[in-house]
Amino acid sequence: MKNIKKLPLLLFLVITTIVYSQTQQKIDMKIDAIGNAQISLSMTMNAQEWQNWLATLGNNPAALKREIERSMPSYFLDDFKLEKDEMNRSFNLSLNAYGVCEINKRGVWTIDTDQKNANLTELTEHKYMLVSTPPDMGGTVQQTFTIEFPEEAQNIKIDKDAFGSSIFKFDMENSTSNFNIMRWAGLFLIVIGGGWSGAKLFSKSS
Amino acid sequence: MKKLVLPLSLTFVGIVLFGLSFFNSKKVSGDLDISIVKASSIMPAAHNVYANEEVLDGKYYLFKAKITNETDQTLEDVTVRYQIPGYVDWTELDVIGEMFQGQTASVRCYPKFKDDISEKMTESTEKVEIEISWDGASEDDIIEEEFSFRISDRNEYLFTNIPTEEIVGWGDVYNNDALLACFVTPNDPIVKYYTQNIQEKILMGEAASVTKDPNEAIRFLGGIYNATLLSHMVYSGTKGIPESLQDVSKFSQHNRLPREVITGNTGLCLELSILYASVLSNAGLDPIIFLVPGHAYPGFKLNNQYFAIEATGIGGEGLGSIMSAEQAFQKGTEQLNEFIQKAQTGDPRYTLVDIHAVNQEGVTPMVLKDDDFLRKKVDDIVASWGSTRTINKATNNSRVASNTSSTNNNSGSSGASGNALSFSIPGGWQTFMRPVPEIPIITAQVLAPDQETTVTVFDVPASSGQEALGVINQYFQSFGMAIQYQLNGNQVVGQTFSEMGTFNWVGKTLRRNGGIRLVAVGAPDYLYNQSSGYINQVFNSIR
Repeated sequence: MKNIKKLPLLLFLVITTIVYSQTQQKIDMKIDAIGNAQISLSMTMNAQEWQNWLATLGNNPAALKREIERSMPSYFLDDFKLEKDEMNRSFNLSLNAYGVCEINKRGVWTIDTDQKNANLTELTEHKYMLVSTPPDMGGTVQQTFTIEFPEEAQNIKIDKDAFGSSIFKFDMENSTSNFNIMRWAGLFLIVIGGGWSGAKLFSKSS
Repeated sequence: MKKLVLPLSLTFVGIVLFGLSFFNSKKVSGDLDISIVKASSIMPAAHNVYANEEVLDGKYYLFKAKITNETDQTLEDVTVRYQIPGYVDWTELDVIGEMFQGQTASVRCYPKFKDDISEKMTESTEKVEIEISWDGASEDDIIEEEFSFRISDRNEYLFTNIPTEEIVGWGDVYNNDALLACFVTPNDPIVKYYTQNIQEKILMGEAASVTKDPNEAIRFLGGIYNATLLSHMVYSGTKGIPESLQDVSKFSQHNRLPREVITGNTGLCLELSILYASVLSNAGLDPIIFLVPGHAYPGFKLNNQYFAIEATGIGGEGLGSIMSAEQAFQKGTEQLNEFIQKAQTGDPRYTLVDIHAVNQEGVTPMVLKDDDFLRKKVDDIVASWGSTRTINKATNNSRVASNTSSTNNNSGSSGASGNALSFSIPGGWQTFMRPVPEIPIITAQVLAPDQETTVTVFDVPASSGQEALGVINQYFQSFGMAIQYQLNGNQVVGQTFSEMGTFNWVGKTLRRNGGIRLVAVGAPDYLYNQSSGYINQVFNSIR
């Protein structure tokens, strides 16, 4: 999740915070079985924030995409989709981020929260929640992150990296390993041939 | 026996297939898909920034690679290495323990160049070689990629790292502003030597970083200006100033380093700003470089207030006018006021670089070696300074407020220079500079012989009188006091409540040096009418 938290912040930076009420952001991060993440960000704004957002990014998806790519310079992102609910002054932005999880030399998967002593709540065995109020925005935004790990992820643990940031560590078996047709055909033939031979030998002896 | 031939044959074929499946599994079909995004150019001055992925969100990478396993196997210990011949030997970038089919890894390269890259005087085109291998990969399997990139000479400053086709506005053209801090070299032995000479020979001692006194810091700023003026340093152009957003070839500037400005005795606005920033930083002050359309000027931040000077006021005989230190400081203050107004309206062309703030983010200065020849050049320049007593006298007169504590009739002596508020002090009143260290916004207090009637000068880092009074109230509240006031234009009438009683006062405010100055005069409520003559005299003299 390193740097991914920059994304919602950046989105909000362009919203003039004349009204100092706290705004809620919801960010869902769904990790797949090969370490990529599908990120979905949704937000509802007040009337003034909505006007400002439309004037800067809301009506210019290309600029929105460009700003997000710049806020996460070290990642590869694609499949941006923006859905606006004009009636309710809300939007939902989804995108894919590749290689968000890393596997170390020992085969342990990790994902960084980019936050020291992150206050993580376990919702289910594979789903965690993190609520934060980034100081960058003077406490005007409350972000609720949910991180959903794939079913293949096992032994999910919260740990710290060398810089003291909270990280998730987990094991994940390869769900995409290919069906080795030669091996299974060989086994099949051994069983059939062996069984047939056995039956012949049995019928001969009887 | 014949009846067993067929089933036994099937069993045999099965065993062969089963066995072969293990041999075949080591053979990889398909390939790794690689997509590389590279930096087109590297600035040697910023080589420490390119080496650190934590700096500025990691946007200054040499390249990033998206590697996707499109083979039919899980690859183990996928190792990514790279080298830059002549600069960086083969270096392991990442080892991915396992790479499943379809899995993507994002690998970033932040090269660690040797410090001697900052001695590079010419630009060149270099090559990056990338090699990707994994456990069991044969020679044929190993993937090799390469691309070229440009390393500029050490003086080149690129205004942006954004591709030209992506540029849409001013902010994009000047996207590298933070990297200016790499050219600010307070630890350069030549800059240190120059600074020591200013402190000793121009200023005859200074303690701005110790006392945190704005007067002393401004005197230091004036000292740098006078040093450049006395050595007949001149303003001069250099190559590569961008003229328009379309002029791609001009998206870089040849920056003479501070040591080159000192010894070459010439500099452009940005180069002079960098020189000032280096000297100020070396002296322990917080340097700021203000960037405005077509111009740059230096200053510093002290007690959350900004100060600036027009460094190019030195001009040169060939250019006509030459400003004195006082005029340069006044010009800098005017520009700073305009800067703050523009920045507050959100004009993206008005930006500043807080050198120490970006240093803390990892944008560190380039490392330069000592040089005897350059030291001798500094000695020659210092010799040209000659007598400095006149300069010191002039500089002292340019202080923001008098630091003389006087019991004599000193009417008019407590006034501020430039555009600060000044007022006349009746005879016999005593002046105390920074009387309450815990409240740094109180610059001075002048006490009447009755020890009750008081004039107080506040310098508050605020954008309006209303905001300044709010800040003052916050400070007072922490000492158990509270103020009530009514602001009418630049005039204010108020009361301060404390355990000691109520203090009535009147005052005037004025915008100055990026903040607000408030001069308030008053007395305790039981003495106010009695002292009203003096209070009105002082109030009416506030200019």
